[in-house]
Amino acid sequence: MLKLLLWLRYLRKKKIVFLSIAAVALSCTLLIVVSSLFNGFIEAVERASAFLEGDITIYPGEFVEGYEPFLDRLEHLPGVEATAPFSWGCGSLLHLGQGNVRPVFFLGVEPVRCAKLSDLKVSLLGAAASTAPPSFEVPGYPNDVGVWVGIGLLAEPDEQTDEYDFEAIKKLIGRQVVLTTGRWAIEESEDLPGDSSGNQTLSASDFKRVTTKLRIADIFFTGHYWYDHLLYLPIGEVNKILHPEESETVVNAMGIRLSQPADAPRIVQQVKAYWSRFAEEDLGWEPARIQFTEIQTARQNRALGLEIIRKQMRVLMLILGVICSVGVLLVFCIFYMIVMTKQKDIAIIKSCGASNGSVVSIFLGFGICVGIAGSAIGAVLGYIVIRNINTFENWIRIIFGLKLWRSSVYIFDKIPDRVDWSWSCWIILAAVAASALGALIPAILAAWTKPVDILRYE
Amino acid sequence: MYKLILPFRYLVKKRITLLAVLAVALCVFVVIVVMTVLSGLTSGIKDKYHSFIGDCVVGSKSLVGFVYYEEFLDRLESAEFVQAASPVIKSPVLVNVKMSADRMYTNRMGQLMGIDPIRHSRVTGFGKWLKHHRQNVSKVFTSPDEPNLPGCVSVHAALGWLADANADDTVPKITFDITSLPLTGKGALARAGMGLINTRSFYVTDIAPVGLWRFDRDTIYVSFEEAQALCGMNLGPKRINVIHIKFKPDVDLQIGRDKVTELWDDFVKTTANREYGDLLTQVKVKSWKSYQSDVISALDTERMMMLFIFSLIGFIAVFIVFVVVYMIVSHKSKDIGILKSIGASSVNVAAVFLGFGFLVGVFGAGIGALGGWQFLVHINSIETWLFEHFKFRLWDQSVYPIGSIPNQIEAKLFSGIIVFGITACLIGALVPSIQAARRRPIETLQVSQL
Repeated sequence: MLKLLLWLRYLRKKKIVFLSIAAVALSCTLLIVVSSLFNGFIEAVERASAFLEGDITIYPGEFVEGYEPFLDRLEHLPGVEATAPFSWGCGSLLHLGQGNVRPVFFLGVEPVRCAKLSDLKVSLLGAAASTAPPSFEVPGYPNDVGVWVGIGLLAEPDEQTDEYDFEAIKKLIGRQVVLTTGRWAIEESEDLPGDSSGNQTLSASDFKRVTTKLRIADIFFTGHYWYDHLLYLPIGEVNKILHPEESETVVNAMGIRLSQPADAPRIVQQVKAYWSRFAEEDLGWEPARIQFTEIQTARQNRALGLEIIRKQMRVLMLILGVICSVGVLLVFCIFYMIVMTKQKDIAIIKSCGASNGSVVSIFLGFGICVGIAGSAIGAVLGYIVIRNINTFENWIRIIFGLKLWRSSVYIFDKIPDRVDWSWSCWIILAAVAASALGALIPAILAAWTKPVDILRYE
Repeated sequence: MYKLILPFRYLVKKRITLLAVLAVALCVFVVIVVMTVLSGLTSGIKDKYHSFIGDCVVGSKSLVGFVYYEEFLDRLESAEFVQAASPVIKSPVLVNVKMSADRMYTNRMGQLMGIDPIRHSRVTGFGKWLKHHRQNVSKVFTSPDEPNLPGCVSVHAALGWLADANADDTVPKITFDITSLPLTGKGALARAGMGLINTRSFYVTDIAPVGLWRFDRDTIYVSFEEAQALCGMNLGPKRINVIHIKFKPDVDLQIGRDKVTELWDDFVKTTANREYGDLLTQVKVKSWKSYQSDVISALDTERMMMLFIFSLIGFIAVFIVFVVVYMIVSHKSKDIGILKSIGASSVNVAAVFLGFGFLVGVFGAGIGALGGWQFLVHINSIETWLFEHFKFRLWDQSVYPIGSIPNQIEAKLFSGIIVFGITACLIGALVPSIQAARRRPIETLQVSQL
């Protein structure tokens, strides 16, 4: 009770204590914001990598046919929710109108299966506004091949706001576009147009232009720069463009969506075993060929790039942490001052029978309280800043004309606005510990105070 | 005299002041190190962009390009502020990398740049990037190994398309089959329906890495005439996509750009009515900074955000100085009373404590700056040591476009941070100094207070 009374009294009488609370709050806010931004970005990259192709991806390294039985088998695996095949195309040119030609990569998808793997409907501007499932059908053009065009291929975001004019872009649905790519016009072309190791002499004249007229069925917009700059075709059409000689559809990637929660590493091992058996028995592949197949989680796919970001984050947090540790010195200074000015109080308490431990606990407890108050304020401020960071960014744009975040630089069109509570908890704990550390030496000095030295008449 | 002696005395006698000095030193040290590295990285990247682009660009985003460029080049090159100009064909192309008769990697996306090597070297760093033709730039597109094929210059990353390409400077014996999509002056596909595409084989004669992934990943240089023919830009009035310009050394970037804009506007007025003159209206004049504004402004913004974060943290240093000076003022009330009673004015008393704050700033910032400077001098050897002993690679050369950690100290930045540190201390000392100045001798020297 005495301790509490003294804490409240010091807080009321010594306004300077609020400075230490402010310093702790400032440091906490800063560290919480920085860690949340970095972790939010990392999480967004991880989420995005699993967005289209699912939680586990299979890249055989070449085109394979007869993949359906394999996918059926996978769907019976416990923990697997859905599967879908993909056909990654090659570099191409997309003619969007007079003089408007863009380099483009295309991806062959099956809309129905792909929709089970990802939230496709939300990403398609046309489909999102209707009740119909995502499809490549173009209203009014039943005989034309429809495509989904990444929004970034059709328009540039506004320089000031980095936002697209969606209404104007939606009007492009139904417009004809032309895709031009190339393929090898030779008989034994099983290894082409992927990386080849055949034994034929190839010349430039064997390389034929393939021009395909397509019609925009929908606009693809995810807010992810890479996906928003792709061209999405029906998987059968990709087959016609790249492998007209194949009667069956061939694919070069497969994706798996896991149910939540699922043990992804265990399922990856199971998928690898299934794939080895399928490749050996159904495709007739040699073991050397099978080993080139990459089967990994979406997170593993991005592991290298994310590790670089994590390292940058750790270095930045270390730098900021070092500077914020100056706050410990501030707490020390303030508590030292309180101890020096309150020596009479301490002497009276001790003369009434308080032990050294009790005196230490008064100041140490007060330091902890300062840490708790400061970090709580810091956490609240950090939460407010992070949750409204896109609004603040917009205000900065309006007031100063400064666009801080662009999707062309940072991949995503919105700043991650989720608070990373695991990091925040550690930061709060560190702040409280730092405050206690700052108060420790003044508290010990207070405990060493001898009442006889302080209270004697001279 | 006492205004000089007392601040020194307080600094030496009061050990708590060491804490304030330490706090300021730590802040100055960290800010100097981080901002120097960040500035070095930013300016290194900017220099590479500048070197790749030149000072100014006149170009159209459309792949169709624009016409009558030779006339405009004449005007440009006769202008007194222009040092050199280089016409360039730019086009996305499909590239098939042929390593031998039986090994080929197909349909990679590439960015073709058709250049006159001599002219382009005068404007950009092209000549310096070449690994084997630095002294003989004019011969860069010819090769004794394949005299029948035109040459091309690629970069490491483009060669990295190949699984077994290595990172040394040897030029692999490979051929690129480059396929373009030729467009007519009206923007339609040229030669459509003929079956065969516009494909040409080029033998790789040299490599020229810029050091920026954005360009290195897919840029392939070929001779201007080859590129113009390949992209169909020699059909009808000849066309190009971009003119890169270098200004004379004493010409300010913005002024130079404005002058080029004036020249271009005049040119358009006299030429717009000719055949394909409408293509000229799509052309824009941009400085190298606005040409790559998304990256350049992002770099500047990140640097600014870092400064903002550090200035926020600087508040803590201000708080510490405030507390220490406040404490000294509280403890030295008798000194203040004596000073005032012997005739010292309030301003002089304030000056004593502001002087103390100033000294804390000078010592703190001085120690921090000295430490920062020494740390920066040895930063690369520290990084090597960390890697050798702990396998901790702080600066991954595959991630950053600069080989070693930038440690070039900028005098402006360095002095700016020191001044900022001292100013922070003066701000921290201001309020306690005013409080000290307001004290009355009768209050501090009365017996009850003693």
